Amino acid sequence: MIRLALRTLRLRAGGFVASFVALLFGATIVMACGGLMETGIRTAIAPQRLAAAPIVVTGDQASGAKGAGSDLPERVRIDTGLVDTIQALPGVAAAVPDVSVPTTLLHNGTVGAPSTGHGWSSARLAPYTLTAGTAPSADTDVVADASLGVRVGDEVRLAVAGGAQDFRVVGLAQAKTADPATMFFTDDEAQTLLRKPGKVDSIGVLTTPGTNVDALDQKLTSVLSGHNAVALTGDDRGQAEIAGAVNGGDNLVALAGVFGGLAIAIAIFVVGATLGLSIQLRQRELALLRAIAATPNQVRRMIMAEVIAVAVLATGLAYFPGQAAGRWLTGQMGANGVISPAIQFHQGWIPTISAIGIGLLTAVLAGFIAANRAARAKPTDALAEASVQQHWLGWLRLTAAIACLGGGTALAIVTATVMAGPVAASTAGPSAILWACALALLGPGICRLCTAAFRWPLRSFTGVAGYLAILNAKATKVRLAGAVVPIMLATGMAIAMIYLQTTSVADAESAYASSLRADAVVASSTGGLPVNFVDTVRRTPGVAAASAFASTTGYLTDKTFDDPSSKHHQAPDVNDYPVQGITANAAAQTTAITVTRGNLADLTGDTIALPTGIADDQNVQLGQTMAIRLGDGALVNPRIVALLSGQRGYDTILMPADLVIPHLTSGLLPQILVTATPGTSPAQLTANLAALAANEPGLVVENRTILAAQFADHQQTSEWINYLLVAMIVGYAVIALVNTLVMTTNRRRGEFALHRLVGSTNRQILRMVGVEGLLIALSGLVLGTGIGVAVLVPFGLAADGSPVPHGPWWVYVAVAIGAVVLSLGATLLPTMAALRTPAVASAD
Amino acid sequence: MNAEIVRLRDVVKIYGNRRTGVRALDGVTIGFREGSFTAVMGPSGSGKSTFLHCAAGLDRPSSGSVLLAEQELNGLSERKLTELRRERIGFVFQAFNLLPALTVLENVTLPLRLAGRGPKRAAVLDVLARVGLDGKVNRRPSELSGGQQQRVAIARALITRPAVVFGDEPTGALDTGTSREVLGLLRETVRQAGLTVVMVTHDPVAAAYADRVVFLADGRFVGELLDPTVAGVAERMTQLGERRMPVRGGVA
Repeated sequence: MIRLALRTLRLRAGGFVASFVALLFGATIVMACGGLMETGIRTAIAPQRLAAAPIVVTGDQASGAKGAGSDLPERVRIDTGLVDTIQALPGVAAAVPDVSVPTTLLHNGTVGAPSTGHGWSSARLAPYTLTAGTAPSADTDVVADASLGVRVGDEVRLAVAGGAQDFRVVGLAQAKTADPATMFFTDDEAQTLLRKPGKVDSIGVLTTPGTNVDALDQKLTSVLSGHNAVALTGDDRGQAEIAGAVNGGDNLVALAGVFGGLAIAIAIFVVGATLGLSIQLRQRELALLRAIAATPNQVRRMIMAEVIAVAVLATGLAYFPGQAAGRWLTGQMGANGVISPAIQFHQGWIPTISAIGIGLLTAVLAGFIAANRAARAKPTDALAEASVQQHWLGWLRLTAAIACLGGGTALAIVTATVMAGPVAASTAGPSAILWACALALLGPGICRLCTAAFRWPLRSFTGVAGYLAILNAKATKVRLAGAVVPIMLATGMAIAMIYLQTTSVADAESAYASSLRADAVVASSTGGLPVNFVDTVRRTPGVAAASAFASTTGYLTDKTFDDPSSKHHQAPDVNDYPVQGITANAAAQTTAITVTRGNLADLTGDTIALPTGIADDQNVQLGQTMAIRLGDGALVNPRIVALLSGQRGYDTILMPADLVIPHLTSGLLPQILVTATPGTSPAQLTANLAALAANEPGLVVENRTILAAQFADHQQTSEWINYLLVAMIVGYAVIALVNTLVMTTNRRRGEFALHRLVGSTNRQILRMVGVEGLLIALSGLVLGTGIGVAVLVPFGLAADGSPVPHGPWWVYVAVAIGAVVLSLGATLLPTMAALRTPAVASAD
Repeated sequence: MNAEIVRLRDVVKIYGNRRTGVRALDGVTIGFREGSFTAVMGPSGSGKSTFLHCAAGLDRPSSGSVLLAEQELNGLSERKLTELRRERIGFVFQAFNLLPALTVLENVTLPLRLAGRGPKRAAVLDVLARVGLDGKVNRRPSELSGGQQQRVAIARALITRPAVVFGDEPTGALDTGTSREVLGLLRETVRQAGLTVVMVTHDPVAAAYADRVVFLADGRFVGELLDPTVAGVAERMTQLGERRMPVRGGVA
């Protein structure tokens, strides 16, 4: 049987190309996802500047945000006192504190490339070696990386810690591994510039020869417990250099899981469908086998052997594109901010073997379905002409279709009535998949309706070609459905997912923009502004009000499902909310926030202003004191001075900038919102503010749209993932579509020959086939648009009250053109090929 | 007189719904003796093909019984039926007899392989020599003429030394000359091996090669001819066609 299977494969290679491509595509994605998952789990960020320290102690970014599902966004710093504690441990040669301060070289007022400054003693952690000059000894001394383009003895001006200071280059240093944009101050000066007394970023632990690193690591872990610090070894050490990189790792694992899972599910369908079709085309051959000698089991085994042979080849070959795809995706995700660009792609044997296993399993599952159908082939079919399949609606299919329709409807209702704001996408997305499944299951029936609907317009425009095409479509609705369903799937998913994305971004941006009333934004290109710079801006001519604007994340314990009995069993859930640090006396003029109770002017000292929704969830009142964790995990206890109304789903917590800024990684103010006095033109305001740059190098003045653009940038992350998902689904649909159309068109050679023998010209046949292709594209497009409407209308109602989605119209046009071009190409090209042989030769 | 190797009793086959469906076979009772060569004839739609499917165990009758080499086919599982076909029955169809992926030799030995028996090369070559294909052992079906393809099908039907060979218009797709060759071959090889042949055909020339011709009309047997001649068969067929004409006219 195996031999027969292999023989058949060799002779009918064409019939298996589609299954092969679908499997190759699926296995490639699964393999890439496996690699991404391993990459995410390892989050290997090779240490560079700290490479010489076998162990690095740094802040525990996971502390404080436990239960929120991601790490703290701001750097958690550790106590300087830990240096002595670690130094005292046996096996430790030296415990070297390390701090990082953003610095920028200034050349006659112009801003150079950003670099980072550290204390000189941490130079041995790379290690850096002096190539010229001496180590820094005075507060104004600096040693620069040799590649920064400065020479020993140069006087340089640096933008650092929110201001500009003069230094003298006393030495040049070089390291093999580290980022070249590096400078060293004296340890004291570095600590001063950090402006965090008693805190350091990390501690590099150098060991005495012969020390067991693992044992020391364990020892350190117990010493560090309770200090919000962790000891890192190996490739984890890079996390100490780039805080926040781990977050991306978690993203990656979740993403890879979702992607891989979806790829497998679709692969089973597509491979199942392509195999099913190729078996349908071989119906007579299988029936002959059954008639003369083969038991149903033998036929089943033969088909399985064919499938497995194809699958082994496809999954094995997927290793190469899988590696490349994983690498490419990791790079793209780094570039698009999904993960830290520092994370290195890793694919060991485990994801490779599992992906091959999963690919084979997928094929076996799909093959099993197809083989069962093949085994049911009636032996008498060998004696008759292959019959047209008319029966398609079994009870199982009907039940599944009704279940999907019901699910889709339920989700649509939930989306429109229960959901609010951006979370509505979490029910709208799955409803798209359910609608698509329902329509796919009911495909042949729906195709008949579509044919009936398009009958008159197509016939009146296309004459005899349309007449024949409609007759063909009616006679072969099952075959037609095989082509319409992939088009519906591709157009429906593309329309739903893309407009879902553009609508939520547009809504988020407009909600964000409407919360701002500023005329201009003052920002810095050199790391940030000093906190008191708000006053300087306020005193500038033409400025009516200036407010600090510092964004971070706040963490609140979820009290919505507070159940005292379960409290001791598990850590409570923690929700993260956007927090803005602002200036109390200018908030009313620079933002459009509506205060429902209390007064924003009281937002000074340890205070907070909460959106009413969050206040309700947290069960707190105006005037009460509450606990909130800030971006660096620090717990603060502000008093509630105001309650705010805001669009549900876009809530932002307000706190005084003075309270928020010390908890940012930079410790500096990122932006200042400015409103102009009446009568001051925007150009005048911008000019006045730009003049401040004389004392504040790196100062930039922007239009307020920059804020919305920055905000949109954050949304890009999920946007990119969404589009990747669409691309994958469309890719599969295209494979299924081209396969179906090419295979069925090839099978119609005899029919075309008959047409020619009774007097059709090649042109007429091409026209007939073209009309059929058009019918397929239009039917698929109408159904796909239906899916889009069914998904987007409830989502629009939930997100912004309008059923019309936001987004560029050309997306829809592009989808429509793509569908038409693809289906016409996949029908006309094989037809042309078929027409090239003489009619008599192919009429047999 | 030899014993009957195939026996049908009150076989009814209805396609579709039991009440409104088409009665393709309407109570057929007939037997075929061992070593005989029978042609089954009838106008289009008389139930010839259905009769062959039911007699050969390719399809199950709606009611009635089929005995094949003393084995009741009713109630046999699909696997048992297949095994019975593989061991006791040979088939020659009108067209599409051969698997395109396999060579002549492989097509001929396929039933043996599927049965898990290794074909004896000498026996295979002997069968191929008998049908005159000893030089084309490694050809693919697409490289053979229609007549040669039918010879391969006959060789395959003979290889398992079956009790009965069923033919469904085995010369329907061939020209007259080739047709005669193939039929002559069928008759000779069958005689030599002592096999039974049941052949459905609508061609009086083909039917005249048989020892006995039975006629089907509207799902029933309506007569038989022993030691038939072409003219005799043709005349009987014309009568059958005329008998049906008024019915058609009445419907129209």
